[in-house]
Amino acid sequence: MSPFTCPRERELSTLLHSGHWPRACPDDLHTHVASCRNCSDLVLVTGALQAARRHTVELPRLEPAGAIWWRAQLRRRNAAIEKVGRPILGAQIFAVAMALVVVAAIAISQFGNWSVWFSDLPGTFHLTALIPSSMSENSTLWIIVPVITTIALLSGILAYFASEKQ
Amino acid sequence: MSWESIIPNVLAGESQSLAGTAPAAAMDNEQFAAFYARSARSLWAYLARVSRDPGLADDLTQEAYVRFLCADRPQDGEVAARRYLFKIATNLLRDHWRRPQSSSIDEIPEAVFAATASEDHSESVAMLGLAMAQMRPRDRQLLWLAYAEGYSHHEIAQITGLASASIRLLLFRARRKMARLLRDGGEA
Repeated sequence: MSPFTCPRERELSTLLHSGHWPRACPDDLHTHVASCRNCSDLVLVTGALQAARRHTVELPRLEPAGAIWWRAQLRRRNAAIEKVGRPILGAQIFAVAMALVVVAAIAISQFGNWSVWFSDLPGTFHLTALIPSSMSENSTLWIIVPVITTIALLSGILAYFASEKQ
Repeated sequence: MSWESIIPNVLAGESQSLAGTAPAAAMDNEQFAAFYARSARSLWAYLARVSRDPGLADDLTQEAYVRFLCADRPQDGEVAARRYLFKIATNLLRDHWRRPQSSSIDEIPEAVFAATASEDHSESVAMLGLAMAQMRPRDRQLLWLAYAEGYSHHEIAQITGLASASIRLLLFRARRKMARLLRDGGEA
């Protein structure tokens, strides 16, 4: 016999949970419980917890089942949409990455033509007048950097609005 | 083309939606309402007695049912479904205890149970409340599942995630401590 169990514990436990203790039990079990610490502990604890359960189950003000059902449906729907949207997001990231690669390739291949075009740009639009005279040696750089910054800023704003709309 | 036209069944909750989940049709609204009516009070009692916080029990009961409906739950009858529900609730309790809190769960008084008890029960309920307050949360869980809900050691192991072999010893110790506390009037 294990020190943690009594041979009659299972029988007593069954009687306790079926509600047959103490009235519908043999007398020898009563005698045994009075002399066995394990079984008397079992009777005491089970009785107290079952009484507490009977009392406690009357307390809650439960939310209607329909509201919980509706909330679960909403959560399943959101999870399904998120699951469907995941590959689309991946495709978008891939498309952006490919676009950047193409732009970079074009920029590298056309660098010679564009550098000539950019160097003529300040004169064409008379932008040199906006550049401080002390900076006139690097006038091309002072045009290219703000233009690229503006394009990047506009791209970011567009990407933000596109994601918001989605 | 809208999302609704691409995934109509998923959005209506009428077919399988998430990988590995059971069909929602396995339990419709009316079946769920009946299951909820039969099981919600005992689940709430478990959560309230183990956490000693009726407000938390309200929240976790609702969350447990929502997760139960969204999850890949067992399809082999109400007993298994009920056990699965208790498992979800136990995990939610564990998650709650792991989160940093402004006050310890053990500091919340048991008064709400005693205050609402009838005169016949008030003394025993208050005494049990005092005794439960002296127990560790895990011991409260084990005792409630074993002696209030009547689950077997194997079922308790499934619900709590503890090793089945250790349940007997843990329950023995918890029961002995609880019995001593009850005999001493709930005082340690």
